[in-house]
Amino acid sequence: MKICFYPGCSFASSAGYKESTEAVCAKLGIELCEITDWNCCGATVSFGENTIRALSLSSRHFAIAQSMGFSEIVTGCNACYATLRKAVDVLQNDADLFDRTKHVLEQIGITLAAVPTIRHLFEIISCAMPSAAIESYKDVPIAAYYGCQLTRPHQDLDRGDHPTVLETFLEKIGFTATSHSAKTSCCGASHAVIHTNECRVLTQRILREMEGKGAKAVTTICPLCQFNLDQNQSKGVGTNLPVTYFTQLAGLSLGISPKELGMNKFLVTAEKVWTRP
Amino acid sequence: MNITGKNNPYSDIGKLSHINRCIQCGTCSGSCPLSDKMDHAPRELFALIREGSYEEVLASITPWFCVSCYACMVRCPKEIPVTDLMYAFKEKAREQGTVPKNLNMTDMYDAFSKTVKQFGRVTESFLMGRYGMRHPISAVKNAPLAVKMALRHRLELKPQKIENPDTITRLYELTEKGGE
Repeated sequence: MKICFYPGCSFASSAGYKESTEAVCAKLGIELCEITDWNCCGATVSFGENTIRALSLSSRHFAIAQSMGFSEIVTGCNACYATLRKAVDVLQNDADLFDRTKHVLEQIGITLAAVPTIRHLFEIISCAMPSAAIESYKDVPIAAYYGCQLTRPHQDLDRGDHPTVLETFLEKIGFTATSHSAKTSCCGASHAVIHTNECRVLTQRILREMEGKGAKAVTTICPLCQFNLDQNQSKGVGTNLPVTYFTQLAGLSLGISPKELGMNKFLVTAEKVWTRP
Repeated sequence: MNITGKNNPYSDIGKLSHINRCIQCGTCSGSCPLSDKMDHAPRELFALIREGSYEEVLASITPWFCVSCYACMVRCPKEIPVTDLMYAFKEKAREQGTVPKNLNMTDMYDAFSKTVKQFGRVTESFLMGRYGMRHPISAVKNAPLAVKMALRHRLELKPQKIENPDTITRLYELTEKGGE
């Protein structure tokens, strides 16, 4: 299976997201076709600056994906997902904004004809994973962390506040999912540099809830969530939870080595996830 | 009460009329992770708009503290697109030149946009450097983290860029006010 992949700016330098995505996709027979010469989607900044600019930054990819023969774009970052998804929504429902965006793109040599479907990498991998995992990690309780922008505002995949798809996935690939109440609480990643103290309180609440409910590690589906939960633990929030990507746990379950999955790149080390007693 | 009237500086925002549905229940403010940093949490901001206190609204720092978590938006019992309105208020403040002064967040947004305009992509270390030039204390505080990242081969020292960054620079210029 070939997918049109939009990595986004944080993908390559994240703690093993790229390595694990590539290794797992290779094993599952998924070919990642990167969008040619992709640009930043504008994340949470551009829509607050200039609507036409934000729509143009996103929809440049819509035109390129179409020229590559795809009608779907897949991304592994929640912020990219929500931004591209928002652009699709606006362009489909506002003919005037569509025309103005099309006009801007024409002037940089891009023809916008149609809008694609936006999907999260999680959807693709969770469908493709075999339910009988090679390795079993039943004794490793994992706290699923969805972050904000996978199920909010567009509830395409699951309910906005109480999704369960990630827990279902964890159980399917041989881990145990813990039950906790912080799975869609905001960690403040988009403001973490500016409002450091306030955002540390947000992550602390999330991490303490997870550890208190028996989790041994966390799994995330977004590079911004991963980084924020990981780095705040080096600043004394009082928890010791390795923050993994769902692709890394999928990789472990498929028998791929932790090193190959980039699991040596965390700030909170993760040996306890795969070390057997 | 007419929030789409002539004197309302927001009247051209398409989704503004949704505020008419607001029942002032406060679910938005209660769901907001940073509401205690705001001068008027969302419920109060909507009340101010409806009573026509536009000057107070335009000077409000509230939209600049929105983290885009969309919790308010999915929970609002009247389906008001709260987060989208926060984006629209920020855009409006830029258009009218009423962006609040001395907010570090606006410097961060500017650093982000300049980076995208120049390179087409964002490199975190580079973005932090650009922001740090105007906020040296923040740069010093974040230095130990940068070292830890470097030790784990996660610090990018060269900015990522697209093949032809002029394309994105042009896209920015075309979308400056009146450039379309």
